[in-house]
Amino acid sequence: MGIDSSKRLMLTGNKAAAWGARLAQVEYVPAFPITPQTEIVETLAKWFADGTLKGKFTNMDSEHSMFMAAGAGAATGVRVFTASSSQGILHGMESIYTIAGWRTPMVVVNVSRALATPITLEPDHNDIMSVRDCGFIQLHAETCQEIFDFILIGYKVAEDPFVCLPVLVNMDGFYLSFTREPVLIPNEQKIKKFLPEFKTSQPVFKASQPMARASAVFGGSTYTYFKIQQDLANRQAEEVFLKTSKEFEKHFGRFYDVVEKFNMEGAEFVFVMSNSFSTKGKDAVLKLRRQGIKAGLLKLRLFRPFPATAIADALCGHDNVAIIDQNLAPGMGGITYPEIVASLYDRKNRPQNILSVIGGLGGKDITEGDFLSIIEKLKSSETKQPFYLFGKKDEENFERLQHLAISNKEAFQS
Amino acid sequence: MFRVRLHGRGGQGIKTASQILGSAAFFSGFQAQDFPLYGAERRGAPIVAFTRINRQNILERGPILVPDILLIGDESLLEDIQAAPLCGADNFTAIFINSSRLPEKLQENYSLSTLPHVLDITSLCVKFLDNGSSTSAAIAAVGARLLGQIEFPALKEAVELELNAQGINSDLRKKNIDLAEEVFQLLTPMEVKERPEKNITSSKLISSEQKPVVLAAPIILEPGNMALRKTGNWRLDRPEIDYEHCNNCLICYARCPDGVIGIKTDGSPEIDYDHCKGCLICAQECPGHFIKTVKESGSWE
Ligand code: SF4
Ligand code: SF4
Repeated sequence: MGIDSSKRLMLTGNKAAAWGARLAQVEYVPAFPITPQTEIVETLAKWFADGTLKGKFTNMDSEHSMFMAAGAGAATGVRVFTASSSQGILHGMESIYTIAGWRTPMVVVNVSRALATPITLEPDHNDIMSVRDCGFIQLHAETCQEIFDFILIGYKVAEDPFVCLPVLVNMDGFYLSFTREPVLIPNEQKIKKFLPEFKTSQPVFKASQPMARASAVFGGSTYTYFKIQQDLANRQAEEVFLKTSKEFEKHFGRFYDVVEKFNMEGAEFVFVMSNSFSTKGKDAVLKLRRQGIKAGLLKLRLFRPFPATAIADALCGHDNVAIIDQNLAPGMGGITYPEIVASLYDRKNRPQNILSVIGGLGGKDITEGDFLSIIEKLKSSETKQPFYLFGKKDEENFERLQHLAISNKEAFQS
Repeated sequence: MFRVRLHGRGGQGIKTASQILGSAAFFSGFQAQDFPLYGAERRGAPIVAFTRINRQNILERGPILVPDILLIGDESLLEDIQAAPLCGADNFTAIFINSSRLPEKLQENYSLSTLPHVLDITSLCVKFLDNGSSTSAAIAAVGARLLGQIEFPALKEAVELELNAQGINSDLRKKNIDLAEEVFQLLTPMEVKERPEKNITSSKLISSEQKPVVLAAPIILEPGNMALRKTGNWRLDRPEIDYEHCNNCLICYARCPDGVIGIKTDGSPEIDYDHCKGCLICAQECPGHFIKTVKESGSWE
């Protein structure tokens, strides 16, 4: 099954993730399936079963034990991969925070899916935002190619002696996970040159060498020390990511900055977006430019550590900025909005007009028209925030369904 | 503000004492605050509790680092480096020690800067309650009396309230109130010295540097380090094997939850007193009752 030269394959995001793990020569995959991530672990299961991949694939009984096994596996000094989504991330949350503190490198793929309630299988980013503060590195992918590339880059960043943290690569469910598009898969030997076998930079679990990675501490000083170290290591990952990206470019010709600037020159209106919907944003920017509206787009890529300086550098000098959050913290609004605003606070030439936009929840499309509405809103003097991308048609859609859900309305009204 | 710090051992009622004192102050028209500090430890382990008493609102929280009054419910704690009951005490701190020794001897032996107040609480508890380690009402009474700001009716009400909340029956509550009254009469209020307020000086903060992961993650590479944690001082009572009668059945060896009973070359059991926590399960389990229990006290005479 080994491929001897680079080739372009039509791959779904899930398949691209599986290929990334395969060519990173992962040695241990603890797995638990969940829609829309299942194809990743199914593909890997098959490759482990037919001998394409050497090592161990284990079906776990839940995401909680899956993440714990991933951490424990990585603590033995092998290269670990796993994947989850949505409620699975929530179920694994305790383990996720725990293994971040263990400082064990690995790559985890999250396939974004909105959180219950109500239940849906379609994407938004509340799941990935829920692990924003756990200590993992986060990379958000726009294309299937980015998913594949970020997994390779991710291992190098995770395994860097001064990082030693899990890297989470995010893709949108459906929009990327089930979408096939061409992905360039480089030659295996070339990948090995960029990403050699995993050599751990720390002591590892061995039967002959008892050790603990989760000591209990008391009094606050020791706890604070380890937490500061976790923060410093996470921040260090920005520099390591850039260094690794440049190295990746040398090997494969593609370069990934911590953010991506799209038509930002002279842009009067900037959309800040992340993940697969950025593609729709880029399309709208091009169309709006043709209509004579100077639009631009800033795509978030490295989300943890948060590249505040790069974001502020990119946004300063532009008058109007709309931060589109495909997530919602009820009672507060968009989750990335305050982080981006905070990164601009000490800049003299910061944008004067910043709008918080909530859209794309539970897989809801963001249309071309929505982008123009955002610009009109930015131009208007009305200041109500956040601005929800929810229209007349959406309401009619909802009411039709509500009619079915509550047919006997009188029973409730009396 | 009166800052009272209480030291004792798990199971001695130190937390309850801090609550009785807090309630008694509250019933006397003060603002009060009380809380205990303990972790994953258990009976016999050093315990600290705190009571703050003030005429105005209390704007302090957390442990009392510099106590105005120290109530030490177990003399053996003074020899315990980890419990360090004298930590933070200065010339303004009044010290009370539950002991049968003379104040002068205690001052000399523990190099105390002031003469301690002393009363043999343990004996009083035995006398009134038939239990030397139920010290909550007595210790609270010591605090209330030394302060000189709390009248007996308020203390009585507090003992009644707090012990009732613990499910203590009315007969035993009555005995505790008698005990508290006795303590109240045996002591006289101390002279309260006003501690002058110091100006705030800034903390010496540092800018942390990133460390290599071995030093940056909570990794323990040295196994078996529990042996370094000596828990022998948790004991209120010491198990002693009567080798005259012990028949080496080793049931005690099997039952000790801490694995601190070893086997000597002649096949007889041996207790490691550096680590024995004094749970007395061995004494309970020995079929012939050949393990007797002896009260622990300070090691000097
Ligand atoms: S009292 Fe007996 S059973 Fe308990 S720790 Fe000590 S030796 Fe073990
Ligand atoms: S249980 Fe009693 S008789 Fe048996 S070994 Fe222990 S002390 Fe001796």
